[in-house]
This record gives sequence, structure tokens and C-alpha cells, in this order.
Amino acid sequence: MVLVAAVRDYVSKMLSDIAGMKVFVLDAQTLAIVSVATSQSELLQKEVFLVEKAESTSSEPMTHLKAVCFLRPTAENMQNLKEILGQPRFGEYHLFFSNILKTNFVQNLADFDQHEAVQQVQEFYADFIALDPYHFTLNTPSNHLYMVPLLFDPTKIQPLCERIIEGVSSVFLALKKRPVIRYSRNSEIARRIAQDAARLMYEQEAALFDFRRTEVLPLLLIIDRRDDPVTPLLNQWTYQAMVHELIGIQDNKVDLREYSRVPKDQQVVLSSEQDPFFRSNMFENFGDLGMNVKKMVDTFQSQHKSNQNIQSLEDMARFVENYPEFRKMQGNVSKHVALMTEMSRLVDERKLMSVSQAEQELACHSSQAAALDELNVQWELPGVTDDEKLRLAMLYALRYERENPQQLQELVDRLNAGRSKYNSNLLYSLLKQAGEEKRTGDLFSNRDLFNRARTMARGLKGVENVYTQHQPLVFHLIESIAKGRLKDADYPFVGNHAQQGKPQDVVIFIIGGTTYAESRVVALQNAANPGTRVLLGGTVVHNSKSFLRDLEEVQRVGRASIY
Amino acid sequence: MATRNRTALFRKYRTALQQVRPASASTSAQGAVVELSNAPLLRGAASGYNRLSTVDVDGSREGVVSVGLPPPWVDVSEEVAIDMQKIRSKMGELAKAHARALMPTFDDIKGKGQEHNIELMSQDITRLLKKCEQKLRQLSQDRGHSEDMKLRVNVQRSLATDLQTLSVEFRKHQKGYLQRLQQQQQQELTVLVLSFLALQRASITASYERGKEDEFYDPGFNEQQMSRLKKAEVLSEEREKEVQQIMESVNDLAQIMKDLSTLVIDQGTIVDRIDYNVQQVATSIEQGVRELEQAERTQKKGDMVFCVMVLIALCVFMICVLIFKKLVL
Repeated sequence: MVLVAAVRDYVSKMLSDIAGMKVFVLDAQTLAIVSVATSQSELLQKEVFLVEKAESTSSEPMTHLKAVCFLRPTAENMQNLKEILGQPRFGEYHLFFSNILKTNFVQNLADFDQHEAVQQVQEFYADFIALDPYHFTLNTPSNHLYMVPLLFDPTKIQPLCERIIEGVSSVFLALKKRPVIRYSRNSEIARRIAQDAARLMYEQEAALFDFRRTEVLPLLLIIDRRDDPVTPLLNQWTYQAMVHELIGIQDNKVDLREYSRVPKDQQVVLSSEQDPFFRSNMFENFGDLGMNVKKMVDTFQSQHKSNQNIQSLEDMARFVENYPEFRKMQGNVSKHVALMTEMSRLVDERKLMSVSQAEQELACHSSQAAALDELNVQWELPGVTDDEKLRLAMLYALRYERENPQQLQELVDRLNAGRSKYNSNLLYSLLKQAGEEKRTGDLFSNRDLFNRARTMARGLKGVENVYTQHQPLVFHLIESIAKGRLKDADYPFVGNHAQQGKPQDVVIFIIGGTTYAESRVVALQNAANPGTRVLLGGTVVHNSKSFLRDLEEVQRVGRASIY
Repeated sequence: MATRNRTALFRKYRTALQQVRPASASTSAQGAVVELSNAPLLRGAASGYNRLSTVDVDGSREGVVSVGLPPPWVDVSEEVAIDMQKIRSKMGELAKAHARALMPTFDDIKGKGQEHNIELMSQDITRLLKKCEQKLRQLSQDRGHSEDMKLRVNVQRSLATDLQTLSVEFRKHQKGYLQRLQQQQQQELTVLVLSFLALQRASITASYERGKEDEFYDPGFNEQQMSRLKKAEVLSEEREKEVQQIMESVNDLAQIMKDLSTLVIDQGTIVDRIDYNVQQVATSIEQGVRELEQAERTQKKGDMVFCVMVLIALCVFMICVLIFKKLVL
């Protein structure tokens, strides 16, 4: 409950100290931050009767309201505040900023406030979108820029880097911790961000970060999405990850408008905080999930029946008493059933069962020849989309990059012949971005003899479920961190820090975006060993579509720079 | 959960800046004075706000401070809040009264007084709940500008949620009392029946013994038995009435509940999302603008069509005239 609770505490602290009717002024980012952590009805309880955007142009005066502004300290908000404070519409202004304010920012604010409407200026460090208790994201725009070399276009890349540093530092401020920082060696941007973050925490704002020390310092590990390009390419079979892969989740909301044939319920909320069924099933695989949904429908049905035969007054009284509960359950049941039907339709349509099996084989074991055969079989299946074909080819290419370049070229040619909507050179640009030389860490567990032996041993043991046998790189990283065996050569420290023993708090930040598969690994790991608490964060939350889109964008940027 | 308060720094800069520009400060004061003469008439009338301007006596702030009196619906919402407070305290009393009433008493008159009291109290609460609900409905009736409207709807929702929890609580109380009452009644009845049977048996044996002496003895109820029976009947009737009344109040509440449920937000649904609500406003505004544009277009089109029709009609008329003329000639 760490991250969500932190944001919720911040919000309630903001609102409960100010008595009377309030209006909550938010910008686009803080709106998302607040929305995932708390709800409209909770705001109503705190006497917040209006939520407004900072850039709102309405000019109706409402002096009986007090404005509580929660904004990011950005240049646009500066402009907005200038207009807001120039003509104050509300009785009082309480300004809360989600990050560290620079002195000249405060100075400018003071300049705008000629009517003396501002009552307080505070920094409340909730500058991350807490999707789940252990998973946060920053929703950075133009996320693809992390793959562009740093010196290529500093004016564009700078804001991305700053946003990441702000987000990560606010997580640590919310936790009241100062970490040691490690980064993955081969990534230029990871090194840059690690160094800048260290400078912020140990030099510029050293006093702010001076919290009570723990015996073993917490760890911030900054890695690059390109260290593990496999995970976002795979089809997923656990509930949350699957919904994101097939339909798409945005800030815990799912938009069913183009899928659902039911006109009602066009958008639904999938929040592990508010929906107990989702909380207990978000990491279940598709088969078990189906059973659980069935069970839920059955209990609902039996309740529905008992509600239907209302004969005596007592029955009626009982019905009315349970009515809100009943309605809530009804909404929940129809939501999960709608999602299930939609997903199983997509699975059938795209032959995902067989495709996914091939993907897992490619990602985990099987020899090159067998892999190629499997790939050919899948390509011939009717109903397999171009996306699926491209992803299979990419997985193959990532794994057998070195072994047979000619065969790779053949594959690319065949993809081209198939009139794919994607540019087939995408495969090469993936290799260029995330090829074996660029990656840090042992993605396929085949670099040294020990890892190979371990993979073999795992293969002998057999697997429980063919569709979920692949473990993302994050899993192996957490394992090594927990054992204190993360290699200094691959993940160096910033500054002259070193870490003995196991850290209790670990934040793994993936530049370029996380996946729900990784968030699942983290959550399960946290449940299994209560000694260490791992938090996962990223710039966005990827599914295969958004990952490929980022690759395309980068390709376009690269091409534009050549001409 | 670290925080940092920058208010002191901000205040420092603000006072420093204010001292730097005395000229602009005086203009702002003037602006406020102008507001004093204009605003109450113009703005106040337009938006339904009663604006008051007062000179701050302390002199801690220079110039004029304008104080906006809230619109009338705020009073209504406050009334509802006060009423709900009343309900809450009454419910506390009622709970105590219930507890007292369920204790076995030997004093009939006192018991009756209590029952009457409880009846009155629960009627009172039901009435208050109904009143609150009606007032809540009033909140969204008269129209205002869009933001004020939204504000009112939100206030309404918040109060409705509170009211709903309150009425659920009240109903649970009532139902619990009802059940225990019925239980007691049944127990009393069985006790009565048992004692009655025992009495009868006693009288039968007695009469049997006496029967030996007097053959024409009527083995019916004696006077004592009759009076007991009557009393039991009256008592059970009374109880019946009471149960009926409570049932009625439960039904009343059920109606209120149903009405309220249209106002209350379902938690955990998309309607409960803050960003969804904000976007909803934005899209509805956009839609409004689009519809307006379309309306304008159709109106224009309507004018044009009308013109064309008139022209065509005129043409036809002229042709007719022409033909008529030719025919006549």
C-alpha cells in the first residue's frame, strides 16, 4: 500500500487543514496523480465541491470558495498562476507544488500575488502516478526520446531527463529516504540521470534529503528498457497485463468504446485499491481467472434470485438494505464479464494461444533450428496478424542475432512481402537499439556457464504453465539484489558509495517504460519476502503496441537527421 | 511523507516586492474602490452573488477588501447539514429509549408512556429525513451558470451520501428493535398460553373434585381467567399496531433510499473518477459549442431555403400570370 497510500496521505493532508467549501485546481499531470489515488466521493467528503483545471478560462467569481491548487512547478503552470492570481476568483489560495521549488519560482509567484490572495505555499512531494501499491509511472510525453543519443537534440531530451529526476526524487522524498544510486553501465541516459539525481540528493538539496539513516542504505537502480526488450514483445496471460496488452489501460482506466457491444459501461476502472475482485485476481492467469469470474457470477446469480422473490415486507426491507451493495456487485460483475468476453474473443481471433506458446519457446529455450521451424509454422497460420509475425521475428532476431545473419535477412524479406503496416527495418532498428552489445545484464541467461547450467536445470524440472514461463530481467535483478550479488561491473555505483548487505528498500526505475508483467513480478516478490520492499517505476507503462510505436518514432527521428 | 513549507520565503518576497512598487499598489487599491461602486450592481445582479465591500478596519491590508456573500443555496445546504446533526442526536436518544423499552417492566402505565415516546421519536426522525431529502432536491432546481450548477450537484451528492448512510443506520436500528419486539411478543404469548393452560387444568381438576358434589357445574372460564384473557388480547393488539407502524416507517425509508440512490455516486465506478468528471465537463462544453454552431448553420440554411421557396413561388405565380394574360389576349 506504499505508493498509493503516500499520495492519498498527501492529498488528505492538503485538504483537511483547510475548513469550508473548497475548489481543487489541478493541471493535467496532477489530475492523473490525484485520480489514481483517490476518488470523487472521497473528495466530496473533504468538502471539495469543484475540480478545475489550471488552464480553465472561466471567469465567474466564487469568493465563498477556497482554492487549493496542486500543481507541478512548470513554466506553463507559472503562466497559468499569473493569470489566476492576477484576477483572483476565489476567496483564498493555498498553493501546493508537487516538487522542489526554485527560489526564482517563489519570487515570481510573489510578484504575481498583488492582491495578496495566497495564504500558503508548500511543497508536497507527490510527483508520480501511483498505479498500484508497488508500481508507479510518470506518463512522460514523447517517451521515445530516451533511445536518441543525448547530444543529438539536448533541448528535447533535457525535459525528459528532468522529469525523470523529479519523479524519482519525489518518490524518495515521499518515503523519507536517501538512496545510493546504481545504473546500468551500457546506457548513456541511465548514467546521466543517475549522476544528476545523485547531485540533487547529495549536493543541491542535501538538507532536504537528510533523513534518519538506516543501517543499509536504500537502493535506487536505474536501468534502461533496452536492457530487456523481450518482455514488452511477449503476449501476456495474467489479468492486468493481458488487459493492457489486448485492450489498453490508461491510468487504471480501460476504454471499451470500440470493443464493447454493450452501450453502457464504455469506460471502466481497474483499480487494485477499490475493486477487491480485481485485487485478488490481477496476477492470476487467464484460466484461473475464468474460473473465478464464473464463481463470482454464480454468487451474484444466487443473490439476484433471492432478491427477485420479494413477498413479505421483511423481504422488501432486506432487499432495500442490501440494495447499494447489490448494485455495486452488479456493476463489478458486468465489468469483469465484459472484459473477459472481449479478451477471449481476441485470443481466439488472433490465435494467441499457439502464437504465445511459440513466443515463450523463443524467449526461454529451444535451439535455433527448432525456433525457426516453429516461427514458420506460426507464420502460416490463418488469422495471425502482421503484428504477431513481426514480434515473433523480433524475438528470434534478438535471441539469434549473431548466429545466422542470412536467415535474418530472409525473414525481413518475407515480412516485406507480406505488406506489413510496419516498416520492416524496424527489426534492424530494434537490433541497433537493443542488440546484444547494447544490453546490460544477462537477458537470455546464456552469457556465462553458471547461468547456462541454471537454465538447463530449470528446463529439466519442467514448467507449470507454458504461457507464463518467461521471467523478465527485473526478476533476476531482484533475486541478485536480495542475495547481494548484483555485479558492480554491470551496475556501477554513482560516487564513492558501496553497499554491503541487503537493502530493505529498493526502487527500480526503468527509463523507457515498465510493463505490467514486471509489476506483477515485483508484487509477488514483495509478498514472498517481507524483508525487502521493491518499488517499480518507469516513464510509461508499455504494451507491445506502444513499444513498437516508440521504436518507429525513433527510426523517424534518425531518418530525419540523416536527410 | 516529507513536506516543505515555503510560505515564509514567499511572504518575505511578497512584502519586499510590495515595498518596491508603491505606485502599482495604489492603483490596485483604486481598482478595488471602483469595484465598490460598480460591482454590487452589475456583477452581483448577473450572477446571483450578493457582493459586499468593506474597508478593513485593522489596516493590516491596504485598500479595500471585497467579501463575497455565498449564493442562497449555501444556506439550504447548511440547513440540511444542521438537520442531519439533529437526526443523529435523536437517533442516539432513540437507541437509549429502545433499550429501555425492551427491558421487562412491571409498571404498565410507565411502559405505555415509553412506547408512545418511542413512536413520537421515530416519527420525528422519519419526518426530518424526508424534509432533508426534499431540501436536497431543491438544491439543484433553480438554474445558475454552469460552474455553479456543477458545484451544487456536488454538494448535493455529498449530502445525499451522508443522508443515505444515516437512513440506513436508522433503518437497521428500527429493524433490530422490531425483531426483538416480535421475539418478546412471542415469548409473552407462549407464557400466557402456558399459564392459561395450567390454570384451566387446575380448574378442571378442581371442578372434577367439586363435580362429585355438584353435578351441574359449568366447566368454563372463571372471572379471573376471563380478565387475563382480555388483557392479553388488548396487549397483543397494541403490539400489533406498533409493529405495523414501524413497518410503515421502514417502508417510508425505503422510498427515501430509492430516491437518494439516484443522487449518490457508486464508489469504484468510472463516475467516481476525478479525471473522468473533469473531462466530462470539457466534452460537454465542446459538444455544446458544436451544437450551437450546427444550430446556427441550420438556421442560416433555413433562411436560405425560405428565400428560394419564396422565389420559386413567385416564379410560378408570374408564369401563371403570363399564361393567363396570353390566354385572355
